[in-house]
Amino acid sequence: MFFIFILLDRRAKILAAWFRTGHLASLQTWSFRVMTTKESGGAKAESALSSSANPSNCVSEKPNYALKFTLVGHTEAVSSVKFSPNGEWLASSSADKVIIIWGAYDGKNEKTLKGHNLEISDVAWSSDSGRLVSASDDKTLKIWDVRSGKCLKTLTGHSDYVFCCNFNPPSNLIISGSFDESMKIWEEKTGKCLKTLSAHSDPVSAVHFNCSGSLIVSGSYDGVCRIWDAASGQCLKTLVDDDNPPVSFVKFSPNGKYILIATLDNTLKLWDYSRGRCLKTYTGHKNEKYCIFASFSVTGGKWIVSGSEDNLVYIWNLQTKEIVQKLQGHTDVVISAACHPTENIIASAALGNDKTVKLWMSNY
Amino acid sequence: MAHRGGERDFQTSARRMGTSLLFQLSVHERELDLVFLDHSYAKPWSAHPDASSARPTRMLFVTPRRQHESTIESDVPIDVETVTSTPVPLYDNQKARSVMNECERHVIFARTDADAPPPPEDWEEHVNRTGWTMAQNKLFNKILKALQSDRLARLANEGACNEPVLRRVAVDKCARRVRQALASVSWDTKLVQWLHTTLVETLSLPMLAAYLDALQTLKGKIPTLIDRMLVSSNTKTGAAGAEALSLLLKRPWDPAVGVLSHNKPVVPVATHLLNNGSGVGVLQCLEHMIGAVRSKVLEIHSHFPHKPIILIGWNTGALVACHVSVMEYVTAVVCLGFPLLTVDGPRGDVDDPLLDMKTPVLFVIGQNSLQCHPEAMEDFREKIRAENSLVVVGGADDNLRISKAKKKSEGLTQSMVDRCIQDEIVDFLTGVLTRAEGHVGSEPRDQDAEKKKKPRDAARRDLAFEVSERGSRPASPAAKLPASPSGSEDLSSVSSSPTSSPKTKVTTVASAQKSSQMGSTQLLKRHVQRTEAVLTHKQAQVPVSSEQTEEAEKEDLRVQLKRHHPSSPLPGSKASKRPKIKVSLISQGDTAGGPCTPSQGGAPEAAGGKPITMTLGQASTGAKELTGLLTTTKSSAAEGGVSASPASSVVSSSTAPSALHTLQSRLVATSPGSSLPGAASASSLLQGLSFSLQDISSKTSGLPANPSPGPAPQATSVKLPTPMQSLGAITTGTSTIVRTIPVATTLSSLGATPGGKPTAIHQLLTNGGLAKLASSLPGLAQISNQASGLKVPTTITLTLRGQPSRITTLSPMGSGAAPSEEPTSQALPSSSQRLPPAP
Repeated sequence: MFFIFILLDRRAKILAAWFRTGHLASLQTWSFRVMTTKESGGAKAESALSSSANPSNCVSEKPNYALKFTLVGHTEAVSSVKFSPNGEWLASSSADKVIIIWGAYDGKNEKTLKGHNLEISDVAWSSDSGRLVSASDDKTLKIWDVRSGKCLKTLTGHSDYVFCCNFNPPSNLIISGSFDESMKIWEEKTGKCLKTLSAHSDPVSAVHFNCSGSLIVSGSYDGVCRIWDAASGQCLKTLVDDDNPPVSFVKFSPNGKYILIATLDNTLKLWDYSRGRCLKTYTGHKNEKYCIFASFSVTGGKWIVSGSEDNLVYIWNLQTKEIVQKLQGHTDVVISAACHPTENIIASAALGNDKTVKLWMSNY
Repeated sequence: MAHRGGERDFQTSARRMGTSLLFQLSVHERELDLVFLDHSYAKPWSAHPDASSARPTRMLFVTPRRQHESTIESDVPIDVETVTSTPVPLYDNQKARSVMNECERHVIFARTDADAPPPPEDWEEHVNRTGWTMAQNKLFNKILKALQSDRLARLANEGACNEPVLRRVAVDKCARRVRQALASVSWDTKLVQWLHTTLVETLSLPMLAAYLDALQTLKGKIPTLIDRMLVSSNTKTGAAGAEALSLLLKRPWDPAVGVLSHNKPVVPVATHLLNNGSGVGVLQCLEHMIGAVRSKVLEIHSHFPHKPIILIGWNTGALVACHVSVMEYVTAVVCLGFPLLTVDGPRGDVDDPLLDMKTPVLFVIGQNSLQCHPEAMEDFREKIRAENSLVVVGGADDNLRISKAKKKSEGLTQSMVDRCIQDEIVDFLTGVLTRAEGHVGSEPRDQDAEKKKKPRDAARRDLAFEVSERGSRPASPAAKLPASPSGSEDLSSVSSSPTSSPKTKVTTVASAQKSSQMGSTQLLKRHVQRTEAVLTHKQAQVPVSSEQTEEAEKEDLRVQLKRHHPSSPLPGSKASKRPKIKVSLISQGDTAGGPCTPSQGGAPEAAGGKPITMTLGQASTGAKELTGLLTTTKSSAAEGGVSASPASSVVSSSTAPSALHTLQSRLVATSPGSSLPGAASASSLLQGLSFSLQDISSKTSGLPANPSPGPAPQATSVKLPTPMQSLGAITTGTSTIVRTIPVATTLSSLGATPGGKPTAIHQLLTNGGLAKLASSLPGLAQISNQASGLKVPTTITLTLRGQPSRITTLSPMGSGAAPSEEPTSQALPSSSQRLPPAP
């Protein structure tokens, strides 16, 4: 049985060491106050395999993402980036305690949401793109009205850092995962906690609703993924692999049939959860310390997109599992990568040595 | 129906495939029926004379097993995008959604002070708990928790395509939890009223709506308790508010509204007889039961020769029906929840008399039944000489109730399932009856033939049985009527009634034991001290379908009431002029014991042959349940009661079964053994089903409700509603007549049932034969009464209910009420689980 010794930078989701004994102790915060480098055009997209194929001939062979914008504004490590469901905006949360909303197409800094007392680890959009929920180290979640930039509700109840959060599809519920090893389901309207799910034995690293809102998937450092019935809060299924490295990220596929699981052994896996088996394994990137977001890209070819600890963004072919492109440009660990809902746009964000969000676009 | 029925069977199936919504509902789970794939010129699958008479099994809602591909196909493209389109719900979604939100729309009515601003969303922080007692705090928190989970379920299900079904499931769950909480305080009147008032005042609107939904559901099950709870607020709100609220709570909604038409149910007439355990053994009881059924069958034969008789039984009742069919001529047997497995292994050994059955039989079993296993059933069916069909209901238990998980995952409600089962029964009976017409003439001979077999087992019979048997033997009804004047009058009137009338009469005689009925004060008290078996005999009902007769019936009833003090009203049902077969699905008790679901029926008419349907089933819910309650108070009370919910909804079929256009389906709701929850559920059924009969049903429901607070009987005894009193009277009255019957509650499931059944039979014996049975059994009396004034029933349904007890209580049961009580003793041999070979 492994216990995880975490030297953790909350915003940055660092899992520094992994010991045989001990407990989750000494959760230190590292300061990432580094100078800001104005990153302009230095980055270039590099095609991983040979030359970029001709899109017209070779259908969905390779994307050709290129850097379009570098969004500068955060003063500390960025922890998460998410596109709004309507495609208009991009929200980024950071260790500098603010959320910045950017224009998704032009990279313009639209709004800054301030209110949290400590670092923010995650942010999520409601389905109507009108509200945001953020999870912070101050043990609270906040619901924001995007239009006014005001905090509508503060959800209190967790006893430790809140690490991840998400809306359900009708956006009347919010799910949050915390370092207190529990997940809570909140009613969006009233801000009341309706249910606490505690079955994990380590911090919960990711939570996500499926497309119909009937299921919740959660991943934890304890190495298991659990699937929950959203209506009753009962655990329906537990996915465990042979060895169980800490799960750093999970999410449902857009149709809710599969689950993408990232583990801290440099692996991404695609599971068919109904049959409880792994279908695809994506490797090649580096992911041993941080909870790095991954994403399905379905607007052009079908890709899996993930950040990496070697400062690159990796893009795999979903079917063939080969790496089709690596995006180079960040100067620190790429902690988060998100795909635009309708356009071929990828947003990526990096930690404290970089502090920027980059928008990559592909004409394919 | 074997080869002769083959063609029609095909037609039937084809028809249903095209037309029945409910067939579609389960169609994707049905396995391919190979027989129907045969070429039309091929020999029928059963053409060979030695071919097994077992027809292919039909699967309802059985999820086919997935074949697991061993290898991972890495090259199969994975589609992460396309959302599988969910099947469109078969019910009227818009309508369902509208009824679903009824409570939310009318929530304002519940407010005592409509002018005050609604409580804010963070009402919880504003609740002033100062001055609350610990009990109040505890109760409030429990309810709050239940409402919160309900809220979560509502929000999570919002927008789902089958939201109404999911909502229904969630509300039922919430109602169960609320009931549990209330039961935990023994429905203490003050506390409960305080709770209601407080909740109404403090809850935010959405939460209040959830609360009302729960109340609505509970009201259908335990009307009296809920009414009592609402009293205080009603007085405050004033008449208007109270009326609005009561309207709102009138009956629980069902997602299948509109698709499954709710026919008017026939309200059962219940007779509650107390039996005290005294020296009779289980085997004897069993024999008594069989004897009673046989004599009934014979009686009907003699009164209405040429009419087909169909025996329908639940669980052990099914077994009784089968055994009777071996001895007497009946047209068909329908076994619901057949108890195949016994402590000695599955039935069907060489010496099992069931193997001699020649009557077409339909088995309906639950896939997850404990008393039966589909594969063992197949083996058994192979051995039976009679034509037999098997319907397996996927995910259903002994009582053909499907699990919550199944309901949720497949978007079903129990009413839909019940309806599908009815369709299967109708199909089966249609085939049998249409074919059986040809045999009508031979009935008497068959009967005789069957009788010849009897001597073989005679040695086993006890004296009492002989008596009854003797009574039943004579062909003429008159001969059957022994001394009792009243009884004989009744019976003879039956026989003398004119047969000319075209009107249809449906008679449902359900004998169920309701321990809940013990609600009468003394009973309850006694029970507290020692939980013994009180067997109540619940009883008979004869719905008459012609309007004109209604009045007469009621009068008869009144007379009867005077005579026998029966509490229950006689249901009159609307007129239908055609003869019908009614299929009553009486689903009974829940795990904890109680709820019974009555049912409904859609039935085919047998062309020309006026069918008589006898449903035999016996419910012995009561005793155990009560025991269970008393011993494990909270859980059983809550569980039993609530669980009834889905099951209790009765769906009647509006679809005319099959080829025979003349068919009209009607619903016969027999409220079965209501034990505490049972009664409630039964009443809820009735309530839900028929508006017109509401007053009646409410009366009946009053009875059960009292006992329901099992944990605190004392409280209930305080006020007995009038019907209750009458009931009490009955019970005591009958109990005097009836001596004691040994009851064994100790038995595990099956065992208990037999214990319960004896009532009717025992009565028979102790009372000196059929005539007395008739007199003491309101059900019978009723029949006769009605018959005398009315036309000959074309259809008679006799229902004996069998209640499987899932609660194994070790405490012995005996009933306390009988004056002539003798020391009750009864250990039932566990082997009694197995029905002894029929005498």
